[in-house]
Amino acid sequence: MAAEDHRGGPGAAPPAETEPDARYTFANERTFLAWTRTALAFIVAGLGIVQLLPPFPGVPWGRHLLGVPLIVLGAVIAVVGYHQWTGNQRALRRREPVRRSVLPGILVVSIVGLAVVAAIVVLLSAILRHG
Amino acid sequence: MTPTVPRPGGPEELDPGLARERTRLAWTRTAISFAAVGAVVLRSHPVAGLVVIALAVPVWGLHHLFPATPIARSQSARLLTVTVTVVAVALVALALALLGQHS
Repeated sequence: MAAEDHRGGPGAAPPAETEPDARYTFANERTFLAWTRTALAFIVAGLGIVQLLPPFPGVPWGRHLLGVPLIVLGAVIAVVGYHQWTGNQRALRRREPVRRSVLPGILVVSIVGLAVVAAIVVLLSAILRHG
Repeated sequence: MTPTVPRPGGPEELDPGLARERTRLAWTRTAISFAAVGAVVLRSHPVAGLVVIALAVPVWGLHHLFPATPIARSQSARLLTVTVTVVAVALVALALALLGQHS
């Protein structure tokens, strides 16, 4: 990070910007759209868990514990996706390398975290029902 | 992948890599995704569901009615509109999840 800050420093000439190859612009836009669809999938999954799933016996708050974070993560993925589209487009115009995306990391942590919580809710529900 | 010389007037010359066509299809997929979210909302709140399903039309139109220009500045507003719409849909979903009655 610090090594790149000198470009934006006071007095530094802004990097020359040229319109990139239209194919790159389109590819960046498709990536943004793909993350948008991922965000919508998170939202619909979260809403489906809360509204359509029968309640977990003994764990009445289980559906909300799983569904609400999914909906919030959907909004986060959409905003981060737009932010990355902006950054990628700037990098393309300046002929700079495109930054590594943080979204796959967010996705992995979210899915693993939710899988662990889901497993705990299901086990807890089974224990409370039979115990 | 053997490099081929674009045929004059062929698809590769008019739309290199078919990037324009693939982007148009990606917009269509995204609009369908909005409609799918609306269908789930429909089950718990018919009015909100119809509104979200209707959102698929402007999302589709953002690309199909306003011709796509590869200039980033005009793109920025369209993509920001999509992002704001997704966040609004998330807020509606959150309200339904927290306030709506559950079966």
